[in-house]
Amino acid sequence: MNPRVRLILQLATRNVRRQARRSVLTALAMVLGVAVLAFARTLGDGGHEDWIDAGVRLGTGHIALQAPRFQASRNLNDRLGADARARATAWLREPWVRERVVAVAPRLEIQGLASSAAAAVPIMVTGVDPAIETEFSRLGDNVIEGAYLSPDDRLHAFVGERLASRLELQIGSRLVLSAQDASGEIASQLVRVAGIFRIGLPEADAGMVQIPIRTAREWLGLGDDVTTLAVLLESGWVVDEVLRDLRGLAAGDAEVAVVGWREAMPELDAAIRMDDWGDYVFNFVLYGIITLAIVNTVLMSVLYRTREFGVLQALGLTRGQTAAVVVTEGMILTAVSGLVGLGLGLGLTWLLFRNGLDYSAMLDSEFTFSGVVLDPVIIPAFRWQQVGRSLVAIAVVGTLASLYPAYRATRIDVAEATKFEA
Amino acid sequence: MPAVRTEGVWKVFEHDGQVVEAVRGVTLAIEPGEFVVLAGPSGSGKTTLLNLLGGLTRPTRGGVWIDGQDLTTMRPRDLAHLRLQRVGFVFQDYNLLPVLSAAENAEFTLLLRGMPQEERERRVREVFQAVGLQGLEDRRPTKLSGGQQQRVAVARAVVGEPALVLADEPTANLDRAASDALLDLMAELNRSRGTTFVFATHDPQLMERARRLIRLVDGAVETDDRRA
Repeated sequence: MNPRVRLILQLATRNVRRQARRSVLTALAMVLGVAVLAFARTLGDGGHEDWIDAGVRLGTGHIALQAPRFQASRNLNDRLGADARARATAWLREPWVRERVVAVAPRLEIQGLASSAAAAVPIMVTGVDPAIETEFSRLGDNVIEGAYLSPDDRLHAFVGERLASRLELQIGSRLVLSAQDASGEIASQLVRVAGIFRIGLPEADAGMVQIPIRTAREWLGLGDDVTTLAVLLESGWVVDEVLRDLRGLAAGDAEVAVVGWREAMPELDAAIRMDDWGDYVFNFVLYGIITLAIVNTVLMSVLYRTREFGVLQALGLTRGQTAAVVVTEGMILTAVSGLVGLGLGLGLTWLLFRNGLDYSAMLDSEFTFSGVVLDPVIIPAFRWQQVGRSLVAIAVVGTLASLYPAYRATRIDVAEATKFEA
Repeated sequence: MPAVRTEGVWKVFEHDGQVVEAVRGVTLAIEPGEFVVLAGPSGSGKTTLLNLLGGLTRPTRGGVWIDGQDLTTMRPRDLAHLRLQRVGFVFQDYNLLPVLSAAENAEFTLLLRGMPQEERERRVREVFQAVGLQGLEDRRPTKLSGGQQQRVAVARAVVGEPALVLADEPTANLDRAASDALLDLMAELNRSRGTTFVFATHDPQLMERARRLIRLVDGAVETDDRRA
């Protein structure tokens, strides 16, 4: 090691150890602050991951492959024909995309009317592949009567609880679905209720019906067409990467648009961004307090050692080297306490809450937010990216907190400082 | 070329609206190998002149040169570099760094110069032998007596073999025996290594040993006597 660097490190390390009590007290503030931040961040990320997961499963996946105008029009005319669907399916089979895809669900989303002897109400009918959808939307987990659709079902429907109530439907009841078919004519389809679900989201419970996709195609004369290929990825953290890859593959294709969940669910995106901002403000305030604590400790230490800094500079230490000693002291103090705090925060969160933090006692019933039913059990998310960000924040705090004390140490009158009495 | 030279140097302080002329138009030249004492009563400007000679403070007027280099026009970084390479300091209160051991205090300027480890160790070993501190290398300053601390300070000042050593009241906190021992040591270093020593003191014992005695009164040179 360069002798000058060694000297600066030696002086800084020993000075931190020299004021052990003051260093430990300051370090404790940093340890607790960073531990709280690590705890809050992992729970925050876990919560957001749950929101996104719930949203994309019930919606159009992390990524939707659709006709370019479908997102705005919701019109059956804006659908993926057989060729477009084949191309989109081929993109999803590319090795670097495929390895991050968990499921691809073909869907036909149709605006129509559901009628029974009791009433007629506007609804959203979704033609689904039951075998895939069981894993994708997990609506089968919310059955309150009957059963979810099975691959052999044909003229069966899975309806929301409120819709069933309004149409006075029970398991086995018949209802008529009406919508515009491929030729623009109104077509109707008789189906029987196979199961009733309740997910707690009013618009879904009161206005959503799922039927087998092949029934929907036959009913509306759509061949193998779909309105959406909904893509579920291994996690929300890889969406941007896969979106970029798929958009690269789809570049120049006028019939297929690649839509991320943020565009498909702008309210959920906005909610997460707002929540993130709240977290950032909290982080900023807490890091600010920690910074002031470090500034105080390092500045006190510098003022207390005015004579020493005078001697150091008299002996030949330059202003830059003097500043380096002070900044290194601040960095050591911050790095050690920051790393301990980060380890403590992540460790305790993993130890106590790795299976989830249950908020259900604080909620009266299902809690919905931005069109998503929130799981009351938040499972913390541990991300290397967040650990990296925390380390950068710690380094920035250490540097910033030391700058002013370092400046003070370099601006002393050397001749006066050598006679200074602390 | 003189080891250090001043030309009409002034240092004026302003303190609470009062103007204090600490050094008034001092012109002197100190040749390499001299053993010089700046003497005078308290407030006569000895320490301020010493600080000017060492580049620790800048003159209000006039010039200071070390080995022909004009200190008044130097940037702080270059001044620090010059002090590191050419000047050694011994302070009245020792001013050792408490976080470093005795040997590490002495090694400090060598590390700053970027000297290789073997060379540093050799020099520290030699200088500790010369100042009679063998066996005390690993002690922290707080575990040393006043005389021992001042010897470490001398070791730190001379280990880099500077052209000029400036010592401000080096015997002020020492008893007679320790003072004698310290002055013997510095006189020996002056003889054997040719190091130039400039002391600021009102210690008669030190004045007796001076080969050149410069008396200051009210910031100006009153007498400048060379002795055989």
